[in-house]
Amino acid sequence: MRPIKLMGHERSLTQVKFNREGDLIFSVAKDNAASIWYSSNGERLGTLEGHRGTIWSIAVDLETKLCATGSADLSIKLWDVSTGECVYTFDMPTPVRRVEFSPDNKKLLAVTDQVMGQIGTITIFDINYEDVYNQNAEPSLVITTREDAKKVSVAAWTANGKYIIAGHEDGYISKYDGTTGAFIETVQAHGIHNTETNLLVTDIQLAPEDQSYFITACKDKCSVLIDVETFQILKVYKTDAPMNTAAITSKKDFVILGGGQEARNVTTTAESQGKFEARFYHKIFIDEIGRVKGHFGPLNTIAAHPDGTAYASGGEDGYIRLHHFDKSYFDFEYDAERTERAIASGAT
Amino acid sequence: MSSVIKSWADAEDEIPQPEVTTNPDGTKTVISYRLNTKGQKVKITQKIKEVKVQERVHPSIAIRKNWSKYGKEKNTPPGPDTRTTQLGEIVELNLGTSWKEVEKQEEEAQEEKKLQNVQRIKCRICGGEHFTSKCPFKDTLGAEAAANELANAEAAAAQDGGDDGSMQNGKYVPRHMRRDASGNLPVQQGRDDSTTLRVSQLNNIVDEDMLRNELFARYGPLQRVTVVRDRDTGDSRGFAYVAFASEGLAEQALNELNGKGYHSLILHLEWSKKKK
Repeated sequence: MRPIKLMGHERSLTQVKFNREGDLIFSVAKDNAASIWYSSNGERLGTLEGHRGTIWSIAVDLETKLCATGSADLSIKLWDVSTGECVYTFDMPTPVRRVEFSPDNKKLLAVTDQVMGQIGTITIFDINYEDVYNQNAEPSLVITTREDAKKVSVAAWTANGKYIIAGHEDGYISKYDGTTGAFIETVQAHGIHNTETNLLVTDIQLAPEDQSYFITACKDKCSVLIDVETFQILKVYKTDAPMNTAAITSKKDFVILGGGQEARNVTTTAESQGKFEARFYHKIFIDEIGRVKGHFGPLNTIAAHPDGTAYASGGEDGYIRLHHFDKSYFDFEYDAERTERAIASGAT
Repeated sequence: MSSVIKSWADAEDEIPQPEVTTNPDGTKTVISYRLNTKGQKVKITQKIKEVKVQERVHPSIAIRKNWSKYGKEKNTPPGPDTRTTQLGEIVELNLGTSWKEVEKQEEEAQEEKKLQNVQRIKCRICGGEHFTSKCPFKDTLGAEAAANELANAEAAAAQDGGDDGSMQNGKYVPRHMRRDASGNLPVQQGRDDSTTLRVSQLNNIVDEDMLRNELFARYGPLQRVTVVRDRDTGDSRGFAYVAFASEGLAEQALNELNGKGYHSLILHLEWSKKKK
């Protein structure tokens, strides 16, 4: 496997994402320009310039027409992906930690930080596609952090925008109704598997096929698979380092976890002890089945290609590494899987 | 020549345009020129076969493939820019439940290989991987090899005499280290410091005469007395080297004077060269 190094950012990566077809990669970092890349050869399509601070998150809609960036400069910007033009700017009261388009493209979710005397919220805007330059600056829905819960760090939509899943600072995961914003239920997903004290949920990514379950990454060195409807914990993947990101691959039943020791401790230890590898776990058997080296800082973000043929990882070192999988990756099977397949083919 | 040469000085550096010729078998030969790092003009001949690979993609992907670049990439030519996009080194992804053991084994194998490379032994007689003294051919080949070696050495010596001894095995030998006419190497004559004491914490006013005639008068005769002085001002730096006639006298002086006062400072004496 020969990775393509994408070196367009000057500071550590905060998020990378594929679009629906997987031909474009969207990346944002702590410098103030987002980059868009072709995933097939690593060519950069362009940069989105205009923010004046760290960009924490990027989202792209289904048609790859618009993309949204949430920044620490108290704004969300909407961009035309084909021209790189900023079409609209939402002013926000606090830094924006996470943005995400709803699956029907009509709404944009934004997680605002709980700083500067503001209460953390999940704010939802309606997106007007008829006239992209003219958006409604007033949010259509604001879900404020419940009084009995800690602030929200990440959030995501489920299939058809039915629910909003939110990850909290204290390891809890909450489910809200996607249209009314009503609180439905919450579950303690982290902090129950070990004795770690930092329980910040760092990432939530939904299953690529049907979005019926999702994976969380947490600083408590665990990653958890949770069913959307029942809200039960399905699987727990335990690692030996704080995790910053987790992705579910399609085609193969794997999950990819990324993290590593805290960035501020990196200089005090050797690279080999930093645990800066992408970890592959089997989704069902929860065994660690492989690692990919390459970054020389913790991994901040991982995105899996929607077709399951590649993955991209962005690190604290400022590089994105884009890996297209080899044949051996697709050939790998557990003995149990192989025998089951043999029996099935024999029966038919 | 179609282009106008602006200056005759530049004419030399001009690089001809690449020539492209189409071969009968469908390939192309491109002859281009470029300057290498030494500033020399290099001719590069490349044989290129163009293969068109058709790929079926989603129509929206095909449209996006033709978008023009923007932002920082606005004026860059199509294709990946090596400033932002580079191929990394090959990384291994060995999937398997026992990947940890596999990786460990590989690492061990590599370490072993490294060790072997370092500790490679070569026999001087047969060239095998064992010590010369344990060579199985020591008796048969050994005598012959030793004789050869001796003959070689003699031949080398003879050669040395021929070219004034300035070169030995192609290596430069400074004049003072060369063999003399009778073939003897010069003897290294170092100063014998075995009877020398280093006297420190001396007052600045103390000079050689005072040391010789006052302080060490009882232990004379003295070979040498040197007060170390500042190169520019000539002031004493507060320490001196004193060479005695014998080691016994030096030791006596050391024992009796170390720690004693002299011109309002307490002397410190030690051997100038550490005793083995």
